[in-house]
Amino acid sequence: MKTLRPLTPEQLARAEAALLHPSPGSRIEAAKNYGVDLTLLVEQLRLTPDERARKLELASTALEEVRGIARRRS
Amino acid sequence: MQPARALRVLCDADVDFVVIGGVSATFHGSARVTYDLDICYARTSTNLRRLAEALAPFHPRPRGFPAELPFVWKKTLRTDIGEIDLLAEVAGLGSFADLQQHSITVHAFDRQFATLDLPALIQAKRAAGREKDLSALPELESLLEAGDL
Repeated sequence: MKTLRPLTPEQLARAEAALLHPSPGSRIEAAKNYGVDLTLLVEQLRLTPDERARKLELASTALEEVRGIARRRS
Repeated sequence: MQPARALRVLCDADVDFVVIGGVSATFHGSARVTYDLDICYARTSTNLRRLAEALAPFHPRPRGFPAELPFVWKKTLRTDIGEIDLLAEVAGLGSFADLQQHSITVHAFDRQFATLDLPALIQAKRAAGREKDLSALPELESLLEAGDL
């Protein structure tokens, strides 16, 4: 089974260029037009898969707290 | 949600599973926040026992039902460590055995386990067909295209 690894500097540079300057007609351009913030994807790709997961845990915990506060107030 | 704790528990109990859904998307670079952990598990009796024993200390109960109701083993659980969706089959991909053909190893939370590869994750999201799955496609397809270049 293959392993999901962090991007190499070369892979990251190519991905960044593709995401920040989408080619006309590409899926990336379609995503930008759909409203996806491609700078967030670049930020994520700079992290290792482990760092992405830890960031998700922090974000989801924080947002759940906010949702809990909102529920209690409503 | 405490995916770190949940995934460590499952790994330490030798449960056969593949991470799917939003957490898998995060491993691949998605910036969307998800509130539950979705896994596809092997439906062998040994694995089911390991899965049940691993989650038992975290008081699993059916999501959306009052806590005082008698416990019923359901595929969508609320536990002390977050909401966990347990699937024996995934739309568009099949069973755990089928998913293994489309999985990769990821190192996270001090453990290593399987998660869907990006093309399979996109296939599963498309097959699921719910609004929240379909709305994730532009981002995931961008990641796939950016990685393919």
